[in-house]
Amino acid sequence: MRNLIDFLIKHHAWMFFILYVVLSCVLLFSSNPYQRSVFFGSSNRVVAQVYEVANVVSGYFGLRKANEELLMQNGELAMENLQLRRQLQRYSYAAATDSLAQDDPMLQQYDFVMARVINNSVSHLENYITLDKGSADGITPEMAVVDHRGIVGIVNVVNEHNSVAISVLNAKLHVSCKVKGTDCFGSLVWDGRSAAYAVLEEMPRHVEFVQGDTIVTSGFSAVFPDGIMVGTIHDYAKQKDDNFYAMQVKLSTDFTQLGVVRVIRNHMQDQQQLLEKEARQ
Amino acid sequence: MNITLLREIGIALLFVLLQAVVFNQINLFGIAVPMVFIYIIFRMPLSLSTAWLLTASFFLGLTVDIFSNIPGMNALACTILAFMRRPVLSLYLPHGSDYVAETPSIRGFGMWLYVRYSLTLTFLYCVLLFVIESLSLFDLPYLVMRIVGSTLLTFLLILCIDSLSQSREKRL
Repeated sequence: MRNLIDFLIKHHAWMFFILYVVLSCVLLFSSNPYQRSVFFGSSNRVVAQVYEVANVVSGYFGLRKANEELLMQNGELAMENLQLRRQLQRYSYAAATDSLAQDDPMLQQYDFVMARVINNSVSHLENYITLDKGSADGITPEMAVVDHRGIVGIVNVVNEHNSVAISVLNAKLHVSCKVKGTDCFGSLVWDGRSAAYAVLEEMPRHVEFVQGDTIVTSGFSAVFPDGIMVGTIHDYAKQKDDNFYAMQVKLSTDFTQLGVVRVIRNHMQDQQQLLEKEARQ
Repeated sequence: MNITLLREIGIALLFVLLQAVVFNQINLFGIAVPMVFIYIIFRMPLSLSTAWLLTASFFLGLTVDIFSNIPGMNALACTILAFMRRPVLSLYLPHGSDYVAETPSIRGFGMWLYVRYSLTLTFLYCVLLFVIESLSLFDLPYLVMRIVGSTLLTFLLILCIDSLSQSREKRL
């Protein structure tokens, strides 16, 4: 026993070293990125506070560009609205005589909360985004985060006034996507290289597409609604096994300039997941 | 003694905040990230016992980790860095010679020794950090580019910061 104590005292630097290395490894490897402890993340109250203060300054950067883009999008939406109005008018006569007319359940399935991005990174392989809204504003884990240009990420951890979302620029996140106009889907994942590009894997070879085609979400995952803008095809190549294509997708979202985002709630999400879970059993 | 300790803790907190709010947002050419907060480990007094050095470095790394949402990554790299500090320094000192100064700095060490000391430690840190990070996605050419880019950027910034703090102390 005495020898042991002597040994410990003699080599106490090594003991401390091993202790801290083991502690770090436990933190590093035990935590699942989807269920990170709330304490060790930026949903931590103190950390979120720091980011909020910093955002008071940095929130003004890039406002002019964002404003122009919003005006553009507003114009496009106004045009689309006009077109839809005309279509509706044409169909309303038919609907008036149809006694089976009902509210469209698709439209009522989603609503959204606006939130401000108070911290964001693009420099790691696992990037996270901190938002200034939390459970008090109705945000729950697994809600979709999008901005006016396209998809941004998925909410991961929520506290009362803040939440942390996994960015699309995170090697651990896979999003089900498809080429707009087709029903063949693949899995979008980030390759860690550039904040402007991601890779759409496992696209069946028979899908017809050309460079520049639009990629949208498939709506299969119960997180993202169908048809949200992801980006355009920049380049493509056959995958190793030759039966699939891997496409390089130019992301429409500018992850270096995230300002205000929408957090989308899917009212049917629980039902869909329950159903899928039942089906797997 | 207590005032010096408080001052050092204050400086460490300032560096953690700067790292979280400013330096973590920088990603030069998509490869170089400045990890400037490790300067705190560089400048800890040489008389500090290894146990204290390791403890302080571990918590320094953990604090930075909490800000970047990846617990354990910087903590592990900082612990190993702190452990390697003394061996690296004795590598560059002539055998048997005593340490030249109480705290490592350009003024205390002289330019040439400090450059070798900080460049080696910065390189070591970047290798550790990016190898740990690449456990989740391995891409060798990108990993090497990131290590070299980040080492150079961090090293240059640390040299600037050290010469700035030095000139301020001279004026006082």
